[in-house]
Amino acid sequence: MTEYLRKIRLIYSKDLKIEFRTMNNLVSTVVFALMLVFIFSFSLQLADLDLNTVYAPVLWVIILFSSTLGMDRAFLREKENDVIEALLLASGECSSIFFAKFFGNLTLLFLVELIVVPLYTVFTGYSSSSNILLFLATLLLGSWGLALIGTMINSITVQLRSSRVLLPILMFPLAVPLLIAVIESTNSALKAGSGSEGWLYFLIIFDLIFVIIPLILFDYILEL
Amino acid sequence: MRSKWSYPLLILLMILMLINLYLIFFYAPLEKNMGIIQKIFYFHIASAWVGFLALFIVFLASIGYLWKRRPVFDNIARASAEIGTIFITMVLVTGPLWARPIWNTWWTWDPRLTTTLVLWFMYLAYIVLQSGGEGENRQRLSAIYGIIAFINVPLVFFSIRWWRTIHPVVISSSGMNLSGKMIVTLVFSIFTFTVLYLNLLLLRTDIIKLASSINLLKEKIHEFNY
Repeated sequence: MTEYLRKIRLIYSKDLKIEFRTMNNLVSTVVFALMLVFIFSFSLQLADLDLNTVYAPVLWVIILFSSTLGMDRAFLREKENDVIEALLLASGECSSIFFAKFFGNLTLLFLVELIVVPLYTVFTGYSSSSNILLFLATLLLGSWGLALIGTMINSITVQLRSSRVLLPILMFPLAVPLLIAVIESTNSALKAGSGSEGWLYFLIIFDLIFVIIPLILFDYILEL
Repeated sequence: MRSKWSYPLLILLMILMLINLYLIFFYAPLEKNMGIIQKIFYFHIASAWVGFLALFIVFLASIGYLWKRRPVFDNIARASAEIGTIFITMVLVTGPLWARPIWNTWWTWDPRLTTTLVLWFMYLAYIVLQSGGEGENRQRLSAIYGIIAFINVPLVFFSIRWWRTIHPVVISSSGMNLSGKMIVTLVFSIFTFTVLYLNLLLLRTDIIKLASSINLLKEKIHEFNY
């Protein structure tokens, strides 16, 4: 078990090192997310909507869109350098590669959210009493699930032509239950007091299911 | 597969379809409130049943493919997904046609409706995936997506149901009281559509198999020329 975790940590830190040295992926994803924040808050302003009611859905659509841009790099890098086989030989287990990539994507998503969420809140001028703890838990579990689905679908699409277009097409239908849960949970976090933690349980179940699926199927995905 | 079963099945299907039409339009009584509009219901439910059955077949065939690695399973999964897409499209067309006069709206975010729509999107994604690669790679990866898509259906359904029970429900589900004759007609219609599905599945699987063997021959000719 410790050996397994060590493998995950090694691949993860390798990816992180490459990412922070080149900054390619992180910068472009953050810039894309910032533009989304700007475009959404700006065009909603034009509609003269009450921004408090659309805060949660728009936030999660921004996160979903930026995640599809950011996450399609994880396996592409290995493919471009033609080292997937080497990585498999070195680690010996497919699922350790999967979880290393998953943690990499999750880190990326957190970094994006760290910039996007405060800025979005400022732009929309959101002001209401809210349950910060529930909000953060939703953000954590939601990103966790999104990174799981994204990593899994990315490992499928990277082996095909036109992988860039395929990632969102394959991923969005799977993200529907997650999207409902995070939006509802965010909504109840914002309406402090009236909200319930019920959706958090749904998120936990969802995240667990999408941890178990790759554990079983990932050997078949990365068959070479 | 083709020579032995397709003709008897086709003849059976023709007879069943005629009986089914008779049952729907003459045997089943006219619904008091909805009138003739209600007849679409027999096509609608039967198509929805086939749409979900087809996904289950995709799921089974995908598991079969990953287990045995025989191309025939991939052919079945692919054929079933294509047929499922057609039937779900029919559900999504007949549903609003019925809902407009009865519910007074084309669309509502009811669990069943939304699950069907997400299922339709997953079918489309599956077909795009199937056409996006070649050879063993494509077959294996689409089998994996077929399995994940099937697992996703209950998740979608329960998330929406939960979401809808928390919120006030604008339009309650129809709550139709079916008479005995209507139930007989409905069951018969579902049975007929299942036979139709099997018929199409056999034909389409056969065509896909033929197409891939033609491709194989083409490649051989190509190699021979150079």
